[in-house]
Amino acid sequence: MGFEDLVRSHAADLFRYAYWLARDRAQAEDVVQEALLRGWRAFPRLRERAAAKSWLFAIVRNEYLRALGAAAPAAESLDGVEIADERQELFGLEMRDALLALPASYAEPLALQVLGGFSCAEIAAMIGASEGATMTRLTRARQALRRLCEPRDRKAGRT
Amino acid sequence: MNCLDYRRQLLTGTGETDAMRVHRQQCAGCATEWAEHAAFEEALGEAMRVPVPPGFAERMAHAQVARRRKFLAAAATTLVAAGVGGYAWLARQDPLAMACIDFVMKEEAKSIMMGAMPRSEAALALAGTLPLGLVERVGQVRHIAPCPFNGQTAYHVVLAVPQGKVTLLVMPSTRMSGKRRAAKEGMYAAVVAMTSGSVGIIGSDAEVVSSVAGALRS
Repeated sequence: MGFEDLVRSHAADLFRYAYWLARDRAQAEDVVQEALLRGWRAFPRLRERAAAKSWLFAIVRNEYLRALGAAAPAAESLDGVEIADERQELFGLEMRDALLALPASYAEPLALQVLGGFSCAEIAAMIGASEGATMTRLTRARQALRRLCEPRDRKAGRT
Repeated sequence: MNCLDYRRQLLTGTGETDAMRVHRQQCAGCATEWAEHAAFEEALGEAMRVPVPPGFAERMAHAQVARRRKFLAAAATTLVAAGVGGYAWLARQDPLAMACIDFVMKEEAKSIMMGAMPRSEAALALAGTLPLGLVERVGQVRHIAPCPFNGQTAYHVVLAVPQGKVTLLVMPSTRMSGKRRAAKEGMYAAVVAMTSGSVGIIGSDAEVVSSVAGALRS
């Protein structure tokens, strides 16, 4: 598959992934555009064509971090990361709003899993975390989303 | 597998293993949990798939075509600037270049009908003479297959470039210097020396053949 076909196949999910990183449509578009330019230049050196999809997602991630002007964030201690509904009384949200309330460190592995279809091991390698920590993030993200989307009456009954 | 393990594993979103499936089939509570989880995952996927700007994928793909055109144009300009461009197609009818044209006119269709070789094998076979990555940067590879040519096993590559189609004959065992060319019945061929072996480029547009030759050598 040539680079152009790769772009056609994955552009939509690359945009969506960039959106969940940046939470901004215009920035997501810029990030993907710039990432694909870098990808095009590097494509002839890509040996593992089977891994082209994860390679593209990784370039988008790097480009987003570059655009932020920051190096890859250091691995966070999970204890230090608050899930939105633990600090705010949020409930009954629509799923998309609930996702927006998730910290980026939880939303990102979830986006890679749901949009990219990557395994825990692949996600761990892409975000620079251990497989165990990645699995924990995926679990906690789902738990938080369930709580955030829970109707008010069920939540009141639970507490 | 107990209920706690089942529900913990479900929350990782990694799918249901055989052991989990066996447990679910015997546990009404986990069967309900599974149904709720499936609905949750569907809603999650739907929410994650935010609308993409109209025509985004096409626009991005088109940008790649534009970049390749610029790349080819730059390669052609470089050739001219270096004083090695401007193939005088009719000035010299080189026999090897002529054989390349004959191959396209008489053998190409048969080679395509015989089927292509796997991409991984092609990448290995071409690596020493013309890395497949470089070919794919110039155009979309439509077909690659080994073929007998000029007393050796050559590799027949059909390449779609923005301006149309060109054929490459990758000849790992043909060592030569400089370039050779020929024109016949509206077809043009250039044979260029690579670090190891050589490559024939054949097409119906002399400029495109020159550009591709330049791009492959650059």
